[in-house]
Amino acid sequence: MSKLTTGSFSIEDLESVQITINNIVGAAKEAAEEKAKELVKAGPTLFPGLESYRDDWNFKLLDRYEPVITPMCDQCCYCTYGPCDLSGNKRGACGIDMLGHNGREFFLRVITGTACHAAHGRHLLDHLIETFGEDLPLNLGQSNVLTPNITISTGLSPKTLGEIKPAMEFVEEQLTQLLATVHAGQESAEIDYDSKALFSGSLDHVGMEISDVVQVAAYDFPKADPDAPLIEIGMGTIDKSKPFLCVIGHNVGGVTYMMDYMEEHELTDKMEIAGLCCTAIDLTRYKEADERPPYAKVIGSMSKELKVIRSGMPDVVVVDEQCVRGDIVPEAQKLKIPVIASNAKIMYGLPNRTDADVNETLEELKSGKIPGCVMLDYDKLGELCIRLTMEMAPIRDAEGITAIPTDEEFTNLVAKCADCGACLLACPEELDIPEAMGFAKEGDFSYLEELHDTCIGCRRCEQVCKKEIPILNIIEKVAQKQIAEEKGLMRAGRGQVSDAEIRAEGLNLVMGTTPGIIAIIGCPNYAEGTKDVYYIAEEFLKRNFIVVTTGCGAMDIGMFKDEDGKTLYERYPGGFQCGGLVNIGSCVSNAHITGAAEKVAAIFAQRTLEGNLAEISDYILNRVGACGLAWGAFSQKASSIGTGCNILGIPAVLGPHSSKYRRALIAKTYEEDKWKVYDARNGQEMPIPPAPEFLLTTAETWQEAIPMMAKACIRPSDNNMGRAIKLTHWMELHKKYLGEEPEDWWKFVRNEADLPLAKREDLLKKLEAVHGWEIDWKRKKIISGPKIKFDVSAQPTNLKRLCKEA
Amino acid sequence: MVDTTKNTKLFTSYGVSTSKTVTPEMAAKLISKAKRPLLMVGTLTLDPELLDRVVKISKTANIPIAATGSSKVSLADKDVDAKYINAHMLGFYLTDPNWPGLDGNGNYDTVIVLGFKKFYINQVLSAAKNFSNLKTIAIERGYIQNSTMSFGNLSKADHYAALDELIDNL
Repeated sequence: MSKLTTGSFSIEDLESVQITINNIVGAAKEAAEEKAKELVKAGPTLFPGLESYRDDWNFKLLDRYEPVITPMCDQCCYCTYGPCDLSGNKRGACGIDMLGHNGREFFLRVITGTACHAAHGRHLLDHLIETFGEDLPLNLGQSNVLTPNITISTGLSPKTLGEIKPAMEFVEEQLTQLLATVHAGQESAEIDYDSKALFSGSLDHVGMEISDVVQVAAYDFPKADPDAPLIEIGMGTIDKSKPFLCVIGHNVGGVTYMMDYMEEHELTDKMEIAGLCCTAIDLTRYKEADERPPYAKVIGSMSKELKVIRSGMPDVVVVDEQCVRGDIVPEAQKLKIPVIASNAKIMYGLPNRTDADVNETLEELKSGKIPGCVMLDYDKLGELCIRLTMEMAPIRDAEGITAIPTDEEFTNLVAKCADCGACLLACPEELDIPEAMGFAKEGDFSYLEELHDTCIGCRRCEQVCKKEIPILNIIEKVAQKQIAEEKGLMRAGRGQVSDAEIRAEGLNLVMGTTPGIIAIIGCPNYAEGTKDVYYIAEEFLKRNFIVVTTGCGAMDIGMFKDEDGKTLYERYPGGFQCGGLVNIGSCVSNAHITGAAEKVAAIFAQRTLEGNLAEISDYILNRVGACGLAWGAFSQKASSIGTGCNILGIPAVLGPHSSKYRRALIAKTYEEDKWKVYDARNGQEMPIPPAPEFLLTTAETWQEAIPMMAKACIRPSDNNMGRAIKLTHWMELHKKYLGEEPEDWWKFVRNEADLPLAKREDLLKKLEAVHGWEIDWKRKKIISGPKIKFDVSAQPTNLKRLCKEA
Repeated sequence: MVDTTKNTKLFTSYGVSTSKTVTPEMAAKLISKAKRPLLMVGTLTLDPELLDRVVKISKTANIPIAATGSSKVSLADKDVDAKYINAHMLGFYLTDPNWPGLDGNGNYDTVIVLGFKKFYINQVLSAAKNFSNLKTIAIERGYIQNSTMSFGNLSKADHYAALDELIDNL
């Protein structure tokens, strides 16, 4: 019996009957697997499953980078046997111990994040295929390697929207398998949850890659464009005299219809459209491939959501998916701001008006009969949101609606504070609100004003205040001047790093002469305020690192200016080059950061991508000096993005709040056995320096994070000049921010040429006097001492199977 | 005398077991009795009032300091035995009996913590709490539920007074 295929056909003898088969369940994957078999040089893990990376790669990583479990709770409340007290690593009624339970908790976060990006990708893929057809080409710029994450996992290199479907199906199937493992009585070993989390992380970068490449291709986003336009950012950029439509979330699909409506009706200069979180980043990429003058704006990160609503500025709020606050509707309702839910993932219990007449829905919303509605028809959504914004603005303006108190109200509210300290206990940032209120009572508002930038706008303080003081509004009141001045610029997300850029930088990265790639990604749950990421980015840019950014981090970097009034995006070029500040795009664009590292292995070193994750990761771990920074990571998605970096051998530093993810990956720098690799030329073991010394850990302050990241860019493959450059930066930064030179710098020295040039003699003296190394002072050479040797031809690998002798 | 054992109010609990409250006098005794103590110091000790007391504790009881975060900047010229280490890494190494310690002489039996945000030190200490027998004493302004022993929640002034009392009893 012949197999059915997709396409159209007629049946003989039946006139005017044509049957069209759009999709056959599993057929896409089957076809892909057939194609994969044709790949002569594919690696061993095409279409990997839960076990595929476990023994060959993940356990090798986890042997050096040990899981560090820091439980959030003594108990497990997962099944009806419990609650069980697992403190002291006891086992619960089901048999799982504290380590296993917390491994599961971390894993749950990673698969949740993976699912979020994959579902985002599925939504966009289906919608865009429906709109543009399966044959829309993936035009992403001048590159041959377009989808390295997809290729590593599936062996496929899709060239059209339709050809992406097998990769999407693969991620969805594996996510179902992974989710099944958290059922009580399934996996219980912590180490296996870690291996599964790493696998999920790799899937996450496939899901993100799908999400971004389809929108770059279909929505005409900048295509690997270092000169993507500069976008206005900040609450202060909104022209309050115009109607204001505020969009919140991550999925730009619906927003494109609003922008199209604005353009068709020539409203782009008559109203404001601006966003919060990644929808903001992606709406400013829409139709920007030709670098047209942008009109959409970015307000800022997730921590601004409640602050913007409380300001009363938006006339309509539209939410889509991911990272959207749960209290948008009640908060907006108080200020007569209608809320439109445009994605089935967040419907807020609102009435569904998808099938209703737009005019009738408009009247219901305008009159306040309903506080908002669900609208899943994008054509109607575009019209409804724009017309509603234009019509709500005069109504709301006339009433002057805002939650910010008047001067008199402010004075009375501050006077009510009883200094009970409940807000201090409740504040997740541990802000000393009582102290600031005390000073405000005496007329000094500077302490309250200082809280504005650190406050994440969560309103936990208000909920415990027995005097019912709207504390967030109080803080925002004193920060009005500061808010009005929040005007910055951010380069629109440029999309992936091109093959040409990789060819130009590959050698410098592998030899270490480009000191490293610093990837600043993630959310705004900072411990000390927004400016931390600006300071970090500036320090590394001044030192010629390549700084790549995405998401809320990319936004916050653009919020601040130097003394000449310039943002970092104006001061530094947007190319993937030494000293470049490269805004890749939104959260899902993170796949292009791992993609860049993968492309170094594929393009520069000619390694096979197809089904070859372990070898590519091994190459990156040993040769590509890159370090991620998720300084305000709060979300499950941030954990999956980071874990996807980790499996590829890219370490990440997180902010202190991220200790609440419960699991880090830290190496024991004092165990020499952990710091050996094979030389692929002959299979012999070779010692390496203890770097990177973690794959995932937290730093307490941004000042601590900077030298940690510089150190984490050191790799075994650095040549002498590269190692000297990296040691120079790390040692200088350690001294600048931690008050002294690091103690363990000598562990990274293989010979005198590794020493920072300006301090070579001084350091040779220290090597002799403190560490007993033998120095030939005539030739200024090290005679004996180093435990690691330098061999420019050595090929460090953790995979014995890649060695010639193997 | 400051009563450091009263207010143990929490916003959220870590669950079944919480730390025992301790008076400055008791804390001083425990520290003095420790065979191999370590003073783990966070970045909040950049506050001159706290810094002064950290230096006094270290010098009076002859305790080495693990200077985490960016606290080492302020300790560099204070003539104390202080070494930088990342707090999360230290929290991990403290659970390993084979860790050679900051001085190469082995792991510690008692760790005194001061100068951290509550959420961070609680999280870092939860490794030691669950996976080691390490004794941890928090002498912070806030009640640290994942340490073995802790001061309760205190005002700034009471916290400074409690630390002074502890120093007097060392």
